Amino acid sequence: MADIALSPPLVVGHKSLAEVTHDVCRPMERRPGGIWWAAFAVTFSMLLLGVAAITYEIATGIGTWGLNTTVGWAFDITNFVFWIGIGHAGTLISAILFLLRQRWRTGVNRAAEAMTLFAVMCAGIFPLIHMGRPWFGYWIFPYPNFRGSLWINYRSPLAWDAFAISTYFIISATFWYVGLIPDLATIRDRSQPGLRRTIFSIASLGWDGAFKTWNRYEMVYLLLAGLATPLVVSVHTIVSWDFATAVIPGWHATIFPPYFVAGAIFSGMAMVLTLMIIARKAMGLEAYINLRHLDVMSKLVITTGSIVGFSYLTEFFTAQYSGNQYEQFVFLNRALGPFFWAYWTMVSCNVLIPQLLWIRKIRTSWAAVFVISLLVNVGMWFERFVIIVTSLHRDYLPSSWTSYRPTSIEIATLIGTFGLFFTLFLVFCRVLPVIAMAEIKGVLKHGLHRLEAHR
Amino acid sequence: MSDKYWRSLEDWRNVSETGDAEFSETPIDIEAGPDRRGFLKAAGFSFGAAMLAGCGRTVQKIEPNLQQPEGFIPGRPVYYASTCGGCSAGCGTLVKVRDGRPIKLEGNPSHQVSGGGLCAVGQASILGLYDSRRIAHPMVDGKAASWAQADAFVQDRLEQARRAGGAVRLLTGTVHSPTESAWIGHFLGSFRNARHIEYDALSASAILDAHERTHGARILPRYRFDKAGVIVGIDADFLGTWISPVEFAREYAAARDPLGSQYAWHTQVESRMSLTGTKADHRVVLGPADLAGFVSDLHDAVIKGGSNRPEVLQIAQRLRDARGRGLVVCGLQDVAAQALVNGINEALGNYGATIETDRASRQRRGDDRALENLLAELRGGAVDVLIVAGANPAFDLPGGEAVAKAKLLIVHAQRMDETAAKAQAVCAAPDVLESWGDVEPVEGTACIVQPCLQPLFQTRPLVETLAAWSGKPGVALDLIRDQWRQEIFPKAKSNLAFEEFWERSLQDGFAQYTPAARARTAARRESEPEPLQKMDPQDGFHLALYAKPALLEGRHAYNPWLQEVPDPVTKIAWDNYACLAPGAAAKLGVATGDVLGIQCGGQDIELPALVQPGQHENTVAVALGYGSQLSGRFAKVGPQWLEGRPTLNERGLVGVNAAPLLGFDRGSLQYFRSGVKLSKTGTTMALACTQEHQTVSVPERLKPAGAKIRPIIQETTLVQIRESGDRRAKESPRPELWPPDHPYPVHHWAMVVDLNACNGCSACIVACQAENNIPVVGKDEMRRKREMHWMRIDRYYSGALDSPRVAHQPMFCQQCDHAPCETVCPVLATVHSDEGLNQQIYNRCVGTRYCANNCPYKVRRFNWFNYVREDRMANLALNPDVTVRSRGVMEKCTFCVQRIQEAKIESKRLGRPVRDGEIQTACQQTCPAKAIVFGDLDDPHSEVSRLMASGRRYRVLEEINVRPGVGYLKIVRPDAPAGEEKENG
Repeated sequence: MADIALSPPLVVGHKSLAEVTHDVCRPMERRPGGIWWAAFAVTFSMLLLGVAAITYEIATGIGTWGLNTTVGWAFDITNFVFWIGIGHAGTLISAILFLLRQRWRTGVNRAAEAMTLFAVMCAGIFPLIHMGRPWFGYWIFPYPNFRGSLWINYRSPLAWDAFAISTYFIISATFWYVGLIPDLATIRDRSQPGLRRTIFSIASLGWDGAFKTWNRYEMVYLLLAGLATPLVVSVHTIVSWDFATAVIPGWHATIFPPYFVAGAIFSGMAMVLTLMIIARKAMGLEAYINLRHLDVMSKLVITTGSIVGFSYLTEFFTAQYSGNQYEQFVFLNRALGPFFWAYWTMVSCNVLIPQLLWIRKIRTSWAAVFVISLLVNVGMWFERFVIIVTSLHRDYLPSSWTSYRPTSIEIATLIGTFGLFFTLFLVFCRVLPVIAMAEIKGVLKHGLHRLEAHR
Repeated sequence: MSDKYWRSLEDWRNVSETGDAEFSETPIDIEAGPDRRGFLKAAGFSFGAAMLAGCGRTVQKIEPNLQQPEGFIPGRPVYYASTCGGCSAGCGTLVKVRDGRPIKLEGNPSHQVSGGGLCAVGQASILGLYDSRRIAHPMVDGKAASWAQADAFVQDRLEQARRAGGAVRLLTGTVHSPTESAWIGHFLGSFRNARHIEYDALSASAILDAHERTHGARILPRYRFDKAGVIVGIDADFLGTWISPVEFAREYAAARDPLGSQYAWHTQVESRMSLTGTKADHRVVLGPADLAGFVSDLHDAVIKGGSNRPEVLQIAQRLRDARGRGLVVCGLQDVAAQALVNGINEALGNYGATIETDRASRQRRGDDRALENLLAELRGGAVDVLIVAGANPAFDLPGGEAVAKAKLLIVHAQRMDETAAKAQAVCAAPDVLESWGDVEPVEGTACIVQPCLQPLFQTRPLVETLAAWSGKPGVALDLIRDQWRQEIFPKAKSNLAFEEFWERSLQDGFAQYTPAARARTAARRESEPEPLQKMDPQDGFHLALYAKPALLEGRHAYNPWLQEVPDPVTKIAWDNYACLAPGAAAKLGVATGDVLGIQCGGQDIELPALVQPGQHENTVAVALGYGSQLSGRFAKVGPQWLEGRPTLNERGLVGVNAAPLLGFDRGSLQYFRSGVKLSKTGTTMALACTQEHQTVSVPERLKPAGAKIRPIIQETTLVQIRESGDRRAKESPRPELWPPDHPYPVHHWAMVVDLNACNGCSACIVACQAENNIPVVGKDEMRRKREMHWMRIDRYYSGALDSPRVAHQPMFCQQCDHAPCETVCPVLATVHSDEGLNQQIYNRCVGTRYCANNCPYKVRRFNWFNYVREDRMANLALNPDVTVRSRGVMEKCTFCVQRIQEAKIESKRLGRPVRDGEIQTACQQTCPAKAIVFGDLDDPHSEVSRLMASGRRYRVLEEINVRPGVGYLKIVRPDAPAGEEKENG
């Protein structure tokens, strides 16, 4: 009894099981409102802008981006790493926190996993479109062919990337789908005969809610959680190798894998916060996503943010300690060179501002956390920009030093990925339960209020 | 344009008769030795071609040769010796002809003047041949005409002038063709009042005038830099644009071999940073107004031993110490100053040693006084017939538009330039690669220009035109052979018959004879030396007008390769600009790119400023040759896309013409002007500069504590080399965990670049562009740092801003043994060969650009767009051995792998190993200074192995262990004080 009394409830408002089902399914069962349509119009326009930009780029050439001979990657790979990083929170919440029995995760895991998938989709665009000849993009996969047979370069981190990301996407999607099955069955059962019912019948794979079904389901879910756990670490580790294995000062660093993983979770958590704070308000889910979540996730943000901040310091220390003047220059150039503003935006947003979360009052203020989470996302985008562009633009031979400025096409492409992300999320909110009903019912602790009433 | 490339000889004749025959397949093979039949055939074809070239009719059939012409193997190039027509220096070329089509020019190694090198202009001139916008046929009153009509029109008018005794003037550039000179004489001889005026837009007239005064003959002596021990250059950019840069660069590099018996010490006295100034051991920066004074001081110091300027005394002392080995060259357009220079050289015994008057140069023959008189005549309307040939006075002369005041203007030109546009009759001139000609750049060395394909248009060489108008029509080859038979053959005192002599000369590209010795008149001491020119010491700036090595005075403004090659000093392409000293720029409050108004003598132009270290405080320098109508064609050059900006300025041209600012003073064309007013316009303009950061050292603010200068440019001193010898200490191999991946069993290709010899002239860049089918990208892409040149020359300043030292470093793929690019490519599009090459496989590349990011040298080039290749005629200059890359793929220097393969196949066929020196990369072949050596490191006796063992050899970024295959030889500073070494960088 003591633990029940000590830990605050995960769902406030003494919801009954039926109320939970009703609350979660309600948005799917009515016509979308004006706010939804307005939001959809905005995000879909952004998506269309992105489609136009990418079409133009593929039709014309990479020259439509602001890259040059020295800076061969900029917005493209920055966006890629940014979105992959966003995609990390989902697996962390669904797999690692599940294994660690963090039951608060049930309020946010569905949306976080969906967000992961959408973010990986956004990320996946870039390795493809950043190629000079994207129509040959499939060449980076090893497949039997009649070219000799010609294989890929297994030493190239880009080839590893292809494996890491495709694996990550497949496992995340599977995990997400398996978690959805009981809820899909609920919706099936609530709908009238018709197309909707047919679709959900097929999707719920004949779920019958029997004890044996539940038993197998939970076993599969546990196993998948175990399988997905290494991916939380591996994907961003491999992405970091894109840089760490290069000879370019500012990239060539052994600290990159932990640094990148921490950064990814940091940005992912921030994005989950951003989305959930909006969703709970817009969809009336205040009972399910509450101060408890805000508090816990804020703590995760400050932890990972501090790891990231520590990494920034370590990089400077390593450069100084290495005695390598190219390395030393790159870091001085980051902080004081032409892109100093990007560096200090990154430091302020990622290291300084999250420190406010130490204060409980701020940590439990929806508005404050919302603003901080947005700033963290901005900061993490700039982190990748700083790593990529400031390392490249002034490397070994001063004769090749250049600058970089994005073109309208690159900016439109970035806007387009946000459009894609939010459009998918809006559609997701309309067609699937944003909260894992089956799971959250397990943490309702009903009866607790009656207990309290006895006292 | 004909699509027909292959045909039998019979067919060829048929086609000729119906009017069109594009490519003659069989000129003379110089490799195959004397082939009399082949020659006669070729000669016959050329006669036919010259007579029958006309009325284009497209032949749509492609037929193979039924009978293979002798010695002609499809796909194998044949080289023909000829002479470059890019400027008046007359360098020898070998024209590489493949399948009946010239595709590349190389320097002729046995040539007496150029010695195997070719400059950027020469390399690019192949595009001139395939220029589809050349004047294709004669024109009368702006309308197309046949040659018969044009001749009738002109001859009718000439007859009137002849009868009426009207003033007939022929205005040309330097004419150093013996046959042309003879025919000009014949032609003008038939008029009572006729005169031939030669001029050079980059004039050396004052030197000739001064020699007339001091040596009794109006000659330009031949300067022999290779024999010099002390070189004093006064405003003479002899490595860049002055008289004969290829010849001088070769000799200069030879005179400065640190292992040679003497190492020439070079001081350059100038107002702006010239290419030559960048190589000088010592630079004196003086304002234009003080240069003549310097000459006079030096004269006094040398002759009388006194001067109140210690600097001058020092130079004089060095000159006196090197009696007979000194060389003072001066580019000032001041006859009095030039006479003093002659006096110095005479007093030091340099005449006859480093300065030859017996085999005088004919590379600049212009007479500015005659030119000035002609312009006055024109303005006064006193010229009845003006014939302009091979010159563009309306563009490159101040007041040159007066040519339109001639009652009849006839222009013999290849392109519709400013002068041709004003003409009543235009005679279409052929390119140098499609016509016969002869050139005598230096007395005693007569060179032949031979055609390498059928004329592409209805063109006619000047000699034929003159012969026709003289009433003795003939064919160029006949006229030239007659001239040689009568004039050159007897002088050559050959024991061969004329035919054999001619054939030998044709194979060699030149013939030599000993010219009659010139009576050596000792320098006349003038009782009262003419006063030196005084420049107005009034307030304001002095203007220095100069030429860039690629564009010269503007005759090649049509040539995209020359527009795109960055200036060797400023690294800016596609524009001219106003160079200002850093101090002056700060005083005016302008930065690079701010547009300045330049006011000079009633003329007003606007140009962007450029801050140029090493320039005189009070001087603003502007390049000539820009703003030509010929550059109007570049409206659509480079990719056209949403944010793409035009290459042309608002006037629809590249740059601004500064020639109207030139002036005449006392019979010489003046490149310095005084009383120039500068004003800020408040607008800015982006310049296409390929190098943003100018020094090896990083900005002071970002300098890590205790960091040394990056060891990218390394220097040594003469003393060090002489003390320690040129051997390098034995290097212990670096410890390695793994066995070597790449054993290089047969060949290990490598290259050594001598930074001391390299003068940055950029000939290699253009040679590489021609050899490797590198596209032209236009100004906007250059501005975005997306130039496609596989080779670049990094130019670094060091030391003080007002007198910097300069290093030129050719940079291209280093073919690393541990190549960072190779490991990161996901699709194996860049791999290592067992001969030490980093190979780029274009059709496998998907374009991730990871390799380029990971290249420490940033030498990889990405195809950002599909670069337009729509001009089908220009495409004929493509090298069939090299793939034309599509968009989205990476490319880079391959050490000219196609040449390596060709030589390997040839040696296999002959059953012998590849010989050292047999393979020459394009950059190496053209380098006038012979700064680049390519070869096989597996051969311990190869030249490249020998140089790799030199004590001067280092590798760039050796410390990151990528093991570059390119070695650099350190720059030699002859006597740098020990303390200076530290601040270098």
